[in-house]
Amino acid sequence: MATLHVLSHSPFTDSRLSSCLRVLGPDDGVLLCGDAAYALGTGTVAQALRTKSTGLSVYVLDEDAKARGIALPEWAQSVDYAGFVALSVHYDKVNTWL
Amino acid sequence: MAKSLLIISRQAPWAGPDAREALDIALAGGAFDLPVAMLFMDDGVLQLAPVQNATLLQQKDLTANLQALSMFGVEDLFACRFSLNERGMQATGFSVDPLEVLDDAQIAALIDRYDQVITI
Repeated sequence: MATLHVLSHSPFTDSRLSSCLRVLGPDDGVLLCGDAAYALGTGTVAQALRTKSTGLSVYVLDEDAKARGIALPEWAQSVDYAGFVALSVHYDKVNTWL
Repeated sequence: MAKSLLIISRQAPWAGPDAREALDIALAGGAFDLPVAMLFMDDGVLQLAPVQNATLLQQKDLTANLQALSMFGVEDLFACRFSLNERGMQATGFSVDPLEVLDDAQIAALIDRYDQVITI
């Protein structure tokens, strides 16, 4: 039962992303939208995500990354809203970190 | 077969309505006989502190709601060991009992096991 974890808060103001990374299952995916897209930057948070990204699927909502001027690293994939829906259906469940 | 529901509560008790709303979802699910479990992680573990004085903040005590969970059939209660350690909380003496303390790998397995997950 693979889970898609959806995050939309900046990883620098709270512990959602770090907590999520601690409890990921082997087949889970992470979708970053809104300010969570800042996690793809070049700082230590991005390094933690990148280290974890081996075997983990990391997605970012394309317009949220572009709007923030964030370049897409090679270890992440960008999706549009249709892709967001497709991912939601593809995974067994969606866990949105409200 | 009703879908099983895991509620992950990760807000402190007086940080806003979130802690209470997570509990309300659990109690409502329990009232309808859904298979519901609750996991307390991050600041959510602070809800489990045995001594709290909500009336000083003109608020209602959440502890009564926590203790109502078992009456509503919500008996699968879990807490995150990492979050407890971060906050210097002992892994015993919580306001709800029984409560199982889980490490990260066990939490991953827990999330995997439930049909639906709500994180508040």
